[in-house]
Amino acid sequence: MLALQILIDGFAISALYGLGAIGFTLIFGVSGVLNLSHGGIMVIAAIAAWAIAGDLHAGTYIGSAAGVLIGLIAALVTYGLVVRPIQRSRAIPRDETEIFVLTGTLLWGIMIQEAVAYFFTDNPVTVVPLISGVATIGGVRVPYNEIMIAAICWSVIGLLWLLVNRTRAGRALLAASINPRGLTLLGFELSSIYLLVWTIYGVLAGLAGVLLATFLGAGSANIGQLTASAFSIVVLGGLGSVSGSLLAAYVVGYLETLTAYLVAPTLRTIPSLLLLVIVVYLRPQGLLGRR
Amino acid sequence: MAAVRRWRPWALVVLLVLLAVLPWGVSAYIVGVLTVAYYFAVYAMSWDLLFGFAGEVNFGPTFLIGLGAYAASLLDIHRWPVPLCVLVGAAAAVVGGAALAVPALRLRGPYFGLVTLVAVLVLQQVIVIFAGITGGEIGLSVPDVLAVDANPNYWYALAFMVASGGILVTLSRSPVGLILQASGQDATETAALGFNVAKHKVAAFCVSAFFSGLSGAMVVFYEGTVSVGSVIDLALGVQVIIAAVLGGRRTIYGAALGAIFLILANELLRPLGQLNTFVVAAVALIVILFFPNGFMGILGRAGERS
Amino acid sequence: MSPLLDVQRVTKRFGGLVAVKELSFHVEAGEILGLIGPNGSGKSTAMKLIMGIERPNSGRVLLGGQDVAGQATHRIARQGVGIVFQHSRPLHRQTVLENIKLALLPDSLLRLAADKSVNDRACAIAESVGLGAVMHRRPNTLPFADLRRLELAKAIARDPKVVLVDEPFAGLTAAEVGIFSGLIDGFRREGRAVLLVDHNVKGVAALVDRVLAMYLGERIAEGSAEEVMRDPTVRAVYLGGSIETHARDAAVIDATPVLLEVADVSVLYGKAQALERVSLRVHEGEFVSVVGLNGAGKTTLFNAISGLVRYDGRIEWAGGSLAGRSPAAIARGGIVQCAETRELFGDMSVRENLDLGGQHQPPAESRDRLAWLFELFPILKERARQAARTLSGGEQQMLAIARALMMNPRLLILDEPTLGLAPVILEQLSKALERLRRTTAITVLLGEQNVTFALPHADRVYVLEHARIVWQGDPALFAKEAGAGYL
Repeated sequence: MLALQILIDGFAISALYGLGAIGFTLIFGVSGVLNLSHGGIMVIAAIAAWAIAGDLHAGTYIGSAAGVLIGLIAALVTYGLVVRPIQRSRAIPRDETEIFVLTGTLLWGIMIQEAVAYFFTDNPVTVVPLISGVATIGGVRVPYNEIMIAAICWSVIGLLWLLVNRTRAGRALLAASINPRGLTLLGFELSSIYLLVWTIYGVLAGLAGVLLATFLGAGSANIGQLTASAFSIVVLGGLGSVSGSLLAAYVVGYLETLTAYLVAPTLRTIPSLLLLVIVVYLRPQGLLGRR
Repeated sequence: MAAVRRWRPWALVVLLVLLAVLPWGVSAYIVGVLTVAYYFAVYAMSWDLLFGFAGEVNFGPTFLIGLGAYAASLLDIHRWPVPLCVLVGAAAAVVGGAALAVPALRLRGPYFGLVTLVAVLVLQQVIVIFAGITGGEIGLSVPDVLAVDANPNYWYALAFMVASGGILVTLSRSPVGLILQASGQDATETAALGFNVAKHKVAAFCVSAFFSGLSGAMVVFYEGTVSVGSVIDLALGVQVIIAAVLGGRRTIYGAALGAIFLILANELLRPLGQLNTFVVAAVALIVILFFPNGFMGILGRAGERS
Repeated sequence: MSPLLDVQRVTKRFGGLVAVKELSFHVEAGEILGLIGPNGSGKSTAMKLIMGIERPNSGRVLLGGQDVAGQATHRIARQGVGIVFQHSRPLHRQTVLENIKLALLPDSLLRLAADKSVNDRACAIAESVGLGAVMHRRPNTLPFADLRRLELAKAIARDPKVVLVDEPFAGLTAAEVGIFSGLIDGFRREGRAVLLVDHNVKGVAALVDRVLAMYLGERIAEGSAEEVMRDPTVRAVYLGGSIETHARDAAVIDATPVLLEVADVSVLYGKAQALERVSLRVHEGEFVSVVGLNGAGKTTLFNAISGLVRYDGRIEWAGGSLAGRSPAAIARGGIVQCAETRELFGDMSVRENLDLGGQHQPPAESRDRLAWLFELFPILKERARQAARTLSGGEQQMLAIARALMMNPRLLILDEPTLGLAPVILEQLSKALERLRRTTAITVLLGEQNVTFALPHADRVYVLEHARIVWQGDPALFAKEAGAGYL
């Protein structure tokens, strides 16, 4: 049943894309930063999970958890060492901060890529899935891991929704993405808000990296492509729009899956690229963007 | 500051003479590295004209470079004369650049940059899809080269860099350059002074495209091959940007300096093995964090404060 | 002779807001027309419509008989319109001379060599405005007045038929005002048509031939400067009619402790002196009004108190210094500012905006305050679920004030709450402020240019003019001593 296979595979991969993209767009929406070392953070988490689970014989559960933690740390280091110094620098004129942040995170991403390749390997690594085995749904064979990935991604997305809409910190985050000055006038320290959003981002990116490693594998060679694809999804959905990123992730995920199954796996990135071109020309703010 | 201005032309002449006689003093290996560096310098200088002067960030300079390189290669394979291939390559880059710029310049903020980035991705895919003609990911070999020996190639590259640099610097200092700078700094005021900002920015884009494409085409006739990885790579585009920022935005000279530094550093650090890129990237990051005005800023170039 | 500039029934809408409504006026060659109005009156929008920076929704803008409405700015500029913006906009990386040269260049892509005559003319123009000595310096090394001269020089270089000048005298000393008046008068003598946009008739009365007064996007009076100043509608709208005062007993207030002490505070924005050695104090429970026109420095003063800008001098709050505290900490410490721009969270609902204001308070207290605020501003209760940006101007202002009050401030700073609001809304705001004064122990610092609104709620008044405090004292005395100079 090809249709069902496409439906299920597409769902899982889209969920994974969505997780990475949401983090990316959150950072932009709240602090205005396009973090081009995104792929690097994901792969650090993946490599850490693999190394701790395998080399340190800690087993896959601890390895995965450690991987996410290390992804979080990598994100915070990126913020503290690269992004924040540039944003606070008095030597850089205000209107050029964005390009410096972009160049800085780009360089940082390259540093991560080379360091990972040097210390580990540039071959992709895989992490043993938390649940092995294959289920059969409606005549289609689906690895349990795939189902679990979709479940984890959606649970996290649900938690994020709860955080933003039902907690004080989350509402402050939302307000910061709308009007940072207004939030300062109401007594909220923006520096704490930024720290919070980068923490959330670190968890999301770390999780996405570890899950990717259990599904398709990840390595230093993927870093550029991971950043590019998160970037494309976020632009398609609308910079700064979390629901837009999710929608775009599913559009891209299904386009890729359909193309891979029905046309050829090597051409799978083409339709989404075409869509990106069309959107950027006709509706540059993306499907659901408002900026 | 006046003192700096006075010694600079002399220092430049001395430097150029030194560079011209260099091949007789160093190994063919270094000569080869510098040749590549000079072509790269032209990429960086063209980028600086667009960014530093028109205020637009082109995230995909390799779109223009790639157009020039592939157009020249395809023509050469059909036995067109080399100078014509090179010129048509540059023209192809200009056409592509204009086609990209006209709609893209209507976009604000990060969106312009995004469009330029997407252009590179699209060109990469187009080359790969039409692998029958373009050689796909493996690339093409071209039958002709500019010269067989290292030294003539070096002089071609040096002359090309000096000529291009000279034209770009003259442009930047001309009345047109002044209008461009105004367009990049304050579009509303520039329009209120009667200038068609869009027209000037498209023109800047085309000039940048011309030199990028020209240099890309010349590189093909130096290396003898062209491939997606050598001319349309995103990483290459990143290095162009880093070179220009490292050298000092808005100076043209700085971009050349930054480019030569990057290429030389990459080569000289090769003994470190895989870590050489890491070290170069780390140095570049430190420079932009602590010396945002780049090498030219460190050398005390006047007037970079805003 | 047909007028050089003829604006006919021009209208401009921004979403639901009508910024300019069927505005018509004309300016002859060799004439200076003053377009006067407070912030929010539409005068700046009108100017932008003429220059092509905004497109009118309807109406015509005739330049020497040709309709240019909706054309691109650079085309309108080339047809003979020059503009001097309110805030100087030099090219920072170029010298003064190069800035002027730019204004002399034609819009050509092919100019690779500079024309010698361009350089000579630029020098001559620099000399004529008094920039001869600083021609080769960069703008960031120049004082404020020289930057304004540069703006005028650029306009002169354009050789325009029509000159639009926005708030020409803001930030200038009396002597500089005289020099600039002379330069603008030069435009008139050369036969150009000049449109002078300003918020204060008195300041430009000597220079203009005619005045057109605007309010809320419409013309309310036209004629000579004296006629307009005497016009009853203008007085009613700008001054709001007779001034009432209800100051509380000064002796009682002076006995209460000083809550906020601002001592010798100065603020520089780039080159502009936004505040110069300003001192004021507010006692606990007092309502103090800082009265001043646009650009006088009220917002700068409030931003200094709230920690949003750097300043020289001392600001003390409840005995301790505010220096070094972050703006958020100052807000949590009891000084809450309701900014002129309101800074609402447009996409969030009224209720969500208010809840964010109450985040730092214990939940039970927040609930009580919310109930009390809904009683103070019933319309907010009605619109609790609506997105803040869909509210009308007056409702947004009420939301901003209510949100600030949710923070349970000891000192509430209100920056121009009446800006751009219709008289009917002012009534409601006034009543709310009255209730606050009578039923709570809150201290209020109110910054206003609408003197009639501010005075009834003041126990003491400071007058801020051109970055300095020029008068302070009893509200009742204000009307006699300082109020006359106000229109």
